[in-house]
Parts: sequence; C-alpha cells; structure tokens
Amino acid sequence: MSILSFENVAIELGGRQILSPTSFTVNKGEFISIIGPSGCGKTTLLRAAAGFVTPSGGAVRRRGEVVAGPSREMAFVFQDYGRALLPWRTVEGNISLALEAASVPAGQRPERIRRVLETVNLAAHARKFPAQLSGGMQQRVQIARCLAQEPEILMMDEPFGALDAMTRESLQDGLLKLVRNSDLTVLFVTHDLEEAIYLGDRVIALRANPTPAQPSLAAMIDVSIPHPRDQLSTKEHPDFLRLRRELYQFLGHH
Amino acid sequence: MPEAILKWARALAFPLAVLAALEVYARTIAINSDALAPPTQAAQAFLQAVSDGSLLAATGFTLLGAGLGLLVATVLGIALGILLGLSRHAAQTSFLSVEIFRTIPSVALIPLAMLIFGFGMNMEVSVVAFATVWPILILTQTAVRQIEPALLEVARALDLSPGARLAKIIVPAILPRLFVALRLAVAIALVVAVTVEIVANPYGMGYAIMIAQQSMEPALMLAWLLWIALVGYIVNEAALRLQHFVARRMGAMP
Repeated sequence: MSILSFENVAIELGGRQILSPTSFTVNKGEFISIIGPSGCGKTTLLRAAAGFVTPSGGAVRRRGEVVAGPSREMAFVFQDYGRALLPWRTVEGNISLALEAASVPAGQRPERIRRVLETVNLAAHARKFPAQLSGGMQQRVQIARCLAQEPEILMMDEPFGALDAMTRESLQDGLLKLVRNSDLTVLFVTHDLEEAIYLGDRVIALRANPTPAQPSLAAMIDVSIPHPRDQLSTKEHPDFLRLRRELYQFLGHH
Repeated sequence: MPEAILKWARALAFPLAVLAALEVYARTIAINSDALAPPTQAAQAFLQAVSDGSLLAATGFTLLGAGLGLLVATVLGIALGILLGLSRHAAQTSFLSVEIFRTIPSVALIPLAMLIFGFGMNMEVSVVAFATVWPILILTQTAVRQIEPALLEVARALDLSPGARLAKIIVPAILPRLFVALRLAVAIALVVAVTVEIVANPYGMGYAIMIAQQSMEPALMLAWLLWIALVGYIVNEAALRLQHFVARRMGAMP
C-alpha cells in the first residue's frame, strides 16, 4: 500500500534546478535508501518529503494529501545530532519535548520515555546531558525522540555519516532491528553505497546536474537480499556484490 | 587556603597603599584642604551617615531607581529583541529608528524626563530604562538570530505551537546571552542612576555626594565616593556571578 508518493517533484533553489521532475511511490513499511553524489539534491528531496521545502513543481502526497508542511506523522532525524538536541535538557528531557509537542499528558510521559529509551538501549543514560554522551549515543537520543512522536514515516538525513565505522555498523543493525519490529516506513539518505544496500528494501540513486536527457532519478533498484541482515554475510551475498557494482557504475564513484 | 589569602593580599595592596598615602598627604601637606580629607575622617563621616540613616535611604533610592529602570528595560528590550530577531521584516522596518534613538546620550534626556515626570523616582526610572533598553534589545536580537538553525527546524518538525517554540526553544537558547546583556545593563543602570542624581534628581547617592561637595565636607564626599565604588563593585560582581551560573546551567554541562 502506497503511503507516500512523489508526483513530478521538481525543486529549484536560487534559480538552479536541484531536482528535475521525479516520480516514485513509497509503500508502507518499506525502507528506501536514497543515494547520490554531493549536490544531487538527495537531502533536498528528503526535506521536501518532510514538508520543510515546498517543491517548485509537482507535489509530495502522504496518504493522498499534499504535504504542505511538517507534520508529527513524519519524524526527521537530522545529520548533525550535536545541534539537533537541546543542550540544556537531559536525555529524557529531550525526548519529552516530542511528547510535549504532541500534548501527551505529563502523567504518561515517563513511561513512554522509558520505552523509547529501552528501544535504543539508552535507559541507563536518561539523566545525562547530551554533551556527556558520545556521538553515537547522541544520535540514538535523536532517533528516540523521533520514535517518541510515534510517526508513521521516519526520514533520516545521513544520520550515521559523522560516526566512526564501528559505531555506524552497530547503529545500522540497531535501526534495522527496530524497523523490522515495527511498521515504520523509512526514507534514508546516505552517500555510502554499501550502507544504502545493506539497509534498504529499495535503493533510489540520484544524479547531480540533471538534464532532460539525464533526469535526477538515475536508478531505482529493488534489494531482495533476505532479512535478518548481517554485517558479514549480507555484505558477502552475491546480490549485494552485484548491486554494489551496478550502483557504483551508475554513480561513477561514491 | 594560604594561597587565597595571598591572592587577596596582593589585590588589596595597591588600594590600601593609595589610602595610606592619601591619609599621610591630607594630614601633612594638605591640611585644611577643601578637596581632600584623610580616609580616617571619611570613615567617621561614613559611620555618621550609617547611624543617621541617610546612607541606607540614599543607597536604597539609587538601587531602587536603577533596579526598576532595569526591570522596565529588560521586559521591553527582551520582548522587542525577540520580535526583531525573529522577523526580518520588523528588523528592517525598525533598524533606522533603533540606530537613531540608541545614540542619544541618556543624560541628554534628563531635561525632558524632568518636564514629564518632575523630580523623583519616575524620572530616574525612565532615564535608566532608556539608557539600558538598547543594549538589552540589540544583544537579545543578535542572540535570537544566532540560535542554532537546527533547533528551529526541530521545533518545526515537532510542529510546536508558537508559544511552546518561544518557551521551550527560543528563550532557553538565548538565556545565557540574555544574562550577559543583563550584566552589561546593570553596570550602565547604576552609572546612569547616580548621574541623574548628580545632575538633577534631589535623592539618592548621587545627590548626597553633591550636597557633601557643596557644603564643603570633603570627608563626607570621600566617604560617599568610596561607598558608591563599593556598591558598584558588589552589584557588578553579583551580576557576573549570576551570568556564569546561568551559562553553566544552560550550557549543558552540569
């Protein structure tokens, strides 16, 4: 069932075409990786889907309704976790913000905060301030805050891009597990090919500097590698290697 | 502990030496001077002013005038500063007026304030408020403009109401800088209050020092001078400590 559809979405910023008309639909529960070189408009596409940016042409529809602005049904995980958390609030305070925004009664908040913190394995750090946590933990706090608002779509903008490889892999696996256990739909922007394939049910590849002959949407590839995925065996799977080669050629390099 | 004592001894050495030199000079060379008195006589005059209640009354008046003026300026300055910081349109409309009004020396407003309010507390409060509202307004405006854009996007993504955005994001984010503005304004407020009393208002510490001068009481004049310096030091030190406290509290690290 389609939950989000892009209908000829085109975006211009400052007179420059960032995204040529692009159409695709996202099904409920699907994990979509969006990949492309710097400047290809992948973050802009995500921001348009979240309602932060109004497309200059076409429309994004969620359940048939045009997305006209941000909504609590769609949670956005920013790349820069360090800036997206309120430094003056503790971990639980930061998560509480999402509940306060949704007018959840104060009495129900502690229980819901406890639940999402357990989901991201941060229950022991509820009383700490963001500055006391590592980068990976801070990003998990941000993800927890997004989960607390109980969205149906999770938009993630290169969420693990600034983390070291070990932390990144552990967060990838945590995210996969969390998504498999829910009916969340995920749009995941990354510039890392392997990450895109490893996480995604489908990979959308964008190209920079689109022309009518070469539109933004360069490729859309289904990833049929079975779940549960594993950092070693999945990445040695013949399909993984084939997709990696295929996408690599589409993008030139990554 | 001995180090702390040593530190204070070092800091106090110079002022004490100056007082001692003044004592010797006033008692030997400048006997019968109308301008200088030995600090020991100033101390006697000080005790006299304490016991007859004039010290408390004058100090209370000046501090109340400075405090009320500062309160008015803080409320107006923060409200306008947030408005001008958030709205580019409002900032563009008002920038010329702000630039013109804030360059008027506050002392030049005393004649006008006297005509409007007559002598007394209202007149002093109005001049202090005028002098301190500009730095508070401008520092607030700058602070709002420099709020981390990611935090404002988080507020959008969570669909916070305008009131919640103000109370939960904007005000906490600018709070450390508001207290910097407040500390600067405290120093200005005290100077302006005393100036108003020296120039026009027949109350407070500024008036007391003028009367001592005009009635040829150099000992009392010196006593007031040192007392004003001490009050100024204490008030500024308290404001500085408050600023540091808030910066620590809101800067994330407990």
